[in-house]
Amino acid sequence: MILKNFHWLSEAGILGMNRRNAEYIMRFNPRSAFPLVDDKVLTKQLASKHHIPTPALYHIIEHQGDSAGFERYLGDHHQFVVKPARGAGGSGIILITDSGAEGFIKQSGEGISREDLMDHLFDILAGIYSLEGLEDRVLFEALVHPDPVFSAVTYQGVPDIRIVVYRGVPVMGMVRLPTKASDGKANLHRGAIGAGIEIGKGTTLTAVYQSQVITHHPDTGDPVRGIQVPYWPDILIMASRALEMTGLGYLGVDVVIDQEHGPLLLEMNARPGLAIQLANRIGLRERLDLVDQAPSDIFSSPEERVAWAIRTFT
Amino acid sequence: MKRPVFWLVLILLFLPFLLISYRIAFLGYPPFPTAPQKAWEISMDAHVLTEGKEVTVKIGLPSPRPGQTIIEERFTSGSLDFGLLQEGPNRVGVWSGEIGERGEMIGYRMTILSHSELHSKPKPPKLGPYPVNTGKLEQELAERLVAKWIRLDPPSRLRAIAATALGHWGDPPPKDQDLKLWSVFQEKQGRLVLFMVLLKAAGLPAQVVEGLLLREGVTSVPVAWLEVWTGKEWERMWASDGKIERGPEKLIALSTGEVELIRLNQGKLSDIRWILDRKIISQWRHHFERIRESPHWLDRWSLFHLPSQFQETFRILILVPMGALLICVLRNLIGFPTFGIFMPVLMALAFRNTGLLYGIGIFAGFVFIGYASRRFMERLHLLLVPRLSIILTLVIILFTVVALMGSKWGLWRLMAVGLLPFVILTMTIERFFVIVEEAGIRVGLRTALGSAFVATITYGILRFESLQLTFFVYPELLFAVAAVQVLLGRYTGYRLSEFLRFRKFRGPG
Repeated sequence: MILKNFHWLSEAGILGMNRRNAEYIMRFNPRSAFPLVDDKVLTKQLASKHHIPTPALYHIIEHQGDSAGFERYLGDHHQFVVKPARGAGGSGIILITDSGAEGFIKQSGEGISREDLMDHLFDILAGIYSLEGLEDRVLFEALVHPDPVFSAVTYQGVPDIRIVVYRGVPVMGMVRLPTKASDGKANLHRGAIGAGIEIGKGTTLTAVYQSQVITHHPDTGDPVRGIQVPYWPDILIMASRALEMTGLGYLGVDVVIDQEHGPLLLEMNARPGLAIQLANRIGLRERLDLVDQAPSDIFSSPEERVAWAIRTFT
Repeated sequence: MKRPVFWLVLILLFLPFLLISYRIAFLGYPPFPTAPQKAWEISMDAHVLTEGKEVTVKIGLPSPRPGQTIIEERFTSGSLDFGLLQEGPNRVGVWSGEIGERGEMIGYRMTILSHSELHSKPKPPKLGPYPVNTGKLEQELAERLVAKWIRLDPPSRLRAIAATALGHWGDPPPKDQDLKLWSVFQEKQGRLVLFMVLLKAAGLPAQVVEGLLLREGVTSVPVAWLEVWTGKEWERMWASDGKIERGPEKLIALSTGEVELIRLNQGKLSDIRWILDRKIISQWRHHFERIRESPHWLDRWSLFHLPSQFQETFRILILVPMGALLICVLRNLIGFPTFGIFMPVLMALAFRNTGLLYGIGIFAGFVFIGYASRRFMERLHLLLVPRLSIILTLVIILFTVVALMGSKWGLWRLMAVGLLPFVILTMTIERFFVIVEEAGIRVGLRTALGSAFVATITYGILRFESLQLTFFVYPELLFAVAAVQVLLGRYTGYRLSEFLRFRKFRGPG
């Protein structure tokens, strides 16, 4: 039977694109709340209102005419990140580790002239990286110095932690580790590694790299499994609070761990991808169903929801 | 399925079902608008000559049987008046008026269509009297000859009588005296009358019909046959050899009963001839003619009432939702990558003018040249809107070059390049570049191939003429298409591509 051959996908509890869109995103994510997560400036404002730490915001450029003197607003900060406010999938982001009179040094060690950086700002403003091609704003924010816990399994860049939160309950997590192939970007379809994280303990599980299951980082050669994520309970609480912040019932929360400031909310995504299932080697369906069957009193506060998740997803 | 969705789908399916059933049952629409149909063009021309002034010519015209429709009729009458007369079962054309010394050409032309629909049951006729110019002697003789068959059921009775045409009189044979008498009688009256007498004697209602054989050609002499009622239907028999025609399909009646086919009050007809032509009439024309004639309000609201140049547009437009449906299937059921959502549909529309091969070739060439230019422009750091404008300009320049090349070589399809959707082409070039930059050349090419593939299938659908006609005749089918689209909108199962994407989950562990 052909049907029988196709049964394994639902038996594994995999969440497919159609179901994600129809049953979760369209049911639990009100359209009106999308701008809150699609625009990183709004996300930052919202986070500060809820006392959730984010990387410090140095400056925002809204119009092309304001670009010229951006360095004045950066003051002493020679390290910073340039970001499109409405960018998706990490595109258009440049990490600057040093700046001088002639130009800037990127995270990768390459130089970028002042002129080229200006052109990049213009591109962002013109909406090249923005979700709907609308005109955009440029964010200058603090460069994150990642906690050394992942440094052995990171090739340049900043690793980040993605947590899928359903009705305020963190249901699945992974850490995205940049590789040479991903050009230092923590983005799976660019070639970053995705390592699943056990929700109950906060330790890394299997990893997926270009849709292959791996145990060691392809560039550094160190094992990716069994790493304990620091601040794990805090990260879960932070992710869980995204429900109260945005009103979105199904979203991805991206967190980075700064050496100095601890976990910081980087951004949120109202249409989180499905690859997290590959990183964890677990389907999402089962967990989402468990949340739906959970007693209603666990939904009262972020702490309750996280406690339930830690108990349930071990 | 959720209730409102269920009801919506039900309504969307029920509505066209109701309308189409109504059209088929009450307005005589064909259940399958594309089933092959036979059409005949029958024309009659004659020259009227007369010495007097006033003339009246009556000529029997083809009468449609149940299952035949006249879809077009035209007359030529010169200086004469023309009228159409119904005389019993016959349609008679009447030409009358004054004519000059040279006479007048009259003519008649019709297109008749046979469709194999269920024939309505004809009423059983009454047994008529003996033919007028027969005497008592012959009638008694006929009764003697058929007496032994009187017990047979009507079809067998007819066949027994028909066999006498070739001299088979059955067992026991009639007396020699009777047979001799019968052949004398035949000499005098002719076979048609002879059979009419025999059939009357045997209690079978019958009539003589003059008409034409449905066979391509020209004839100036119509043929005559007998139609005999055998209890359930009329059967047709040739008097010359007693052969019985299987069905009515090969014959067309001009005059039934004891009415003469051609009647003139004075003068004469010279050069009368009937021309029969099997006509390849397009299905479109057939529906057009039929619906245009219909007084029903539903037919008045048909797309066939649009001026023809707009009909052309709607033949295509009416299938675009099918293309959209295909995209739904490919994207949500299969997980096929394409540039944009409806770009392949627009491409397919453009391919109608350029042809598939040229269309895809031009498209691929443009995207390639556009990509190379875009690559170069990346170094110039141009702003988005001006940059897109440059690509648009490039596309138009390429259009111009290709059109001029087409003109030089006389390739019409190259000249039709201007009908390609240039905005879509521009956006495709930009998107192709972004995909190649972000996800690599492999993903870019895969998406491009996917788009071309979907455009090809959509093109096939749009060109599928039977489908075009079906939707054109029954535009309410669009509701059914919408129903399927609603269903697909509620499909939350896996996409085919996800079986590949999550293949790691297969098997143990």
